[in-house]
Order: sequence, then C-alpha cells, then structure tokens
Amino acid sequence: MMLKRLTAAGFAVVAFVALDAAAQVKPEILVKQRQAAMTLQGKYFGPLAGMAQGKVPFNKDVVARNAGYLDVLDKLPWDGFGENTKGEKSSALPAVWDKAGEFKQAQERLENEVAKLVQVSKGADESAIKAQIGAVGKSCGGCHETFREKK
Amino acid sequence: MKFLGRAGAFALLLIAGLGLAHARGDAKRGEYLSKAAGCLGCHTDAREGAQPYAGGRAIKTPFGTFYGPNITPHPDAGIGRWKEADLAGALHLGVRPDGAHYFPAFPYSSFTKISDADVADLWAYLRTLPPSSQPSRPHEIWFIFRWRLLLGAWKWLFFNPGRFVPDAKSPQLNRGAYLVQALGHCGECHTPRNFLGGPRRDRFLGGGKLADGARAPNLTPTRLKKQSDGDLKDLLQTGVTPDGDALAESMAEVVRNTTSQLTAGDLSAVIAYLRSLAPLPDEPK
Repeated sequence: MMLKRLTAAGFAVVAFVALDAAAQVKPEILVKQRQAAMTLQGKYFGPLAGMAQGKVPFNKDVVARNAGYLDVLDKLPWDGFGENTKGEKSSALPAVWDKAGEFKQAQERLENEVAKLVQVSKGADESAIKAQIGAVGKSCGGCHETFREKK
Repeated sequence: MKFLGRAGAFALLLIAGLGLAHARGDAKRGEYLSKAAGCLGCHTDAREGAQPYAGGRAIKTPFGTFYGPNITPHPDAGIGRWKEADLAGALHLGVRPDGAHYFPAFPYSSFTKISDADVADLWAYLRTLPPSSQPSRPHEIWFIFRWRLLLGAWKWLFFNPGRFVPDAKSPQLNRGAYLVQALGHCGECHTPRNFLGGPRRDRFLGGGKLADGARAPNLTPTRLKKQSDGDLKDLLQTGVTPDGDALAESMAEVVRNTTSQLTAGDLSAVIAYLRSLAPLPDEPK
C-alpha cells in the first residue's frame, strides 16, 4: 500500500516536471521561433503583394502554392507569445498581452483571409485573386498597427 | 440673318468665355493632387463600400476624436455652396467660410504651403465628385476644446501661414520638399508635437507619436540610410519591405491612397528630398 502510494506520488512528480519543462521553453527561444514563423510568412507573401500591385508578373500557380504555405505558417507564431516573453527584446507591443482578445481576433482575421485566398487561387479570376491578396495584406497591417512597433 | 449670325457668334464667345472662367483649374490635375495630398483617407468612412469624400472617418488624437467631414459638392451636407476662395481659406488659413477656425486635425499647417494653382486644380476636381447627402458627424472632443476661439491662440503660437518657397536646391529636391511638406503632410504624423499639439519644427520628420502611443518612424537619413532607393520605392508602392514584411495599416493606407499613386518622378523626388534632410536622432522612448 505504502509502496503503491509512493509510486503514484513519484509518477505525479515526474509528470509535473515534464509538463513544467514543456512550459519552460526559454523566452528568448520562443521569440526567435515566432519571429522565424513571421519571417517565412513575409517570404511567401512578399511576391504576392508585388503581383497584386503589378510590380511582379502575375503567376496563379505561385499564388496557389504560397497561399497553401501561408495557410500553415499563419498558425505558427501565436503560441510563441507566452507571458514569459513580455520582457524580451522584440517589436511586440504590450498590447499583445493587454488586449489579448483583440490580438486573438487579429490572428483569426489573418487565418480567415488566407483560407479565402487558398480558395480563390484555385479559380481563374485574376482580379478576385489580386483583391484577396490585398485583403490578406490588410490583415497583416491591421495587426501590425496595434501590436507591433512601427518600423 | 447677318445680325443673327453675329448674335450667335457673340453668344458662342460669351459661352466660351464663361466656360474658361469656370474652368480655371484642371480637374484631371486636381485628381492627381488630391491623391498626393491624401484627402481620401480622412474624408471617407472606414467601412467597406463607403462613398469617397463623403466624410465619416474617425481621427483619434490626444484631444478627442475628430470626424472627417463630407467634402462632396452637396449643397447642405457637403461643400456645394462653397466658392474656390473658401477652399483656399480652408487650406491656406485654416478658416471656415464663416470665419471660424478649423481644428488642426485638418492639416492646414502643411496645406498652407500648397500653391495657388494647385488649389485651383483641387477645387476643379472636388466640383466633379458625385454629391453625397451624408451629414458630417460632429467631433467628440473635451468641451473646452470646442471653443473655437482658443484655436486662434493655437494658431498664433504654432501656425505659420504661407506658400511653399523653393530654395536654391535642385528642381527635384524642391519638388520633393513640396510633396512632403505641403501636399503629403508627412510631418503631421512623423514630426513630434509638444504638449499643446504644436509641431516641433527643430525635429521635423524626426519621428512622431500617434494617439494610441504608437510611433511614426524617423524619416531622416538616420533611419532611411539603411534602405536603398529601390527598397524605399518598392515599400512606397506596395506597402511591403523587400523581405515581405507588411507595413502597419495606418501607413499601408497612405501607400494605397497616395505614395503608390505618385508618378515615378514624384516618388523619386520624395525619396531624394528625405535623403537630403539633416539626420536627426530617434525620439527617446
């Protein structure tokens, strides 16, 4: 009986330590990782913005491919904004944590607009695709407005 | 018959003369100037499908929320009863046709530099807009600021009326200076203000603070030297940096409405002028 309890207690301690370790990714690493996710979104969004403006030749296949990439990438940064990263050096503004609800809405807006771009880019309507690229861009800028230091 | 012919010719001349008098400004040029001046942003509601220039945009400042008024030629809701001189008074002197002062949320500190010829073209363009009956929304500001006489004091302290004067620099730098200082009114956000909301001229374009505490970046070479002309041009045409990073929406809108609409020559002039400024350190945080 005693042994059983001890074993249970032991498991509990092990489980707790494991959970704690997961939660305790170093804040500077979380920042680095979320920035990497943002950087990659820039890599795959940049050419699309150029196409929407007519600065880069329009290529529907590239739009469809990049939209697919963005549809995954746009979900990756958010768990990097842990409370423990508040004090880290980054361009994130305190509003990320002070207006957490709005921040969440801004994320969902991006995810929705990108999902729409995935759909539209399956079709052949170039002007609709370009308009949707613009809508994705607005959701980037809308979030950067309140939650990131202006560059 | 001969008489009729003469009368006809006279009438034609008269009409032509009236037409000329009416078309002092060039509406086509005025349309371009309205883009360079970014009128659309403040004078159009933010909601999707809002009628351009019919007013309604909220402009948040530390002194309250202002709403851009309807500037379509509707006789009651808009500026349909105005004359060209009324527009000149608004832009150059910051006064309403009835003589009351405008709040400096309307950037007449910059627009006072707009040339008379450009005001005439802007006027001609504004006349061509479809009239909207949407009433202008009253500003929501602290009661003491509603006393417009106080604005006289503000203007006496901070407002220097007068048209842009080109100096001995190159025509390109003069054009850039005119676009940045007068039409573009870049300093309204990118120049810091003192506690009374007056621009700090010694810190022109050194980076300002927006109402929500966010910062408008330093536009002097201190910061811009890190970017090539090509990078800046792309940024001002697409709203995206070379690595695909998107500008915040307040500037992204300026890119859509204004900088992406400028001719290649005007955009180069803007960049050349910013590069010619004395480098200022960033504002302390």
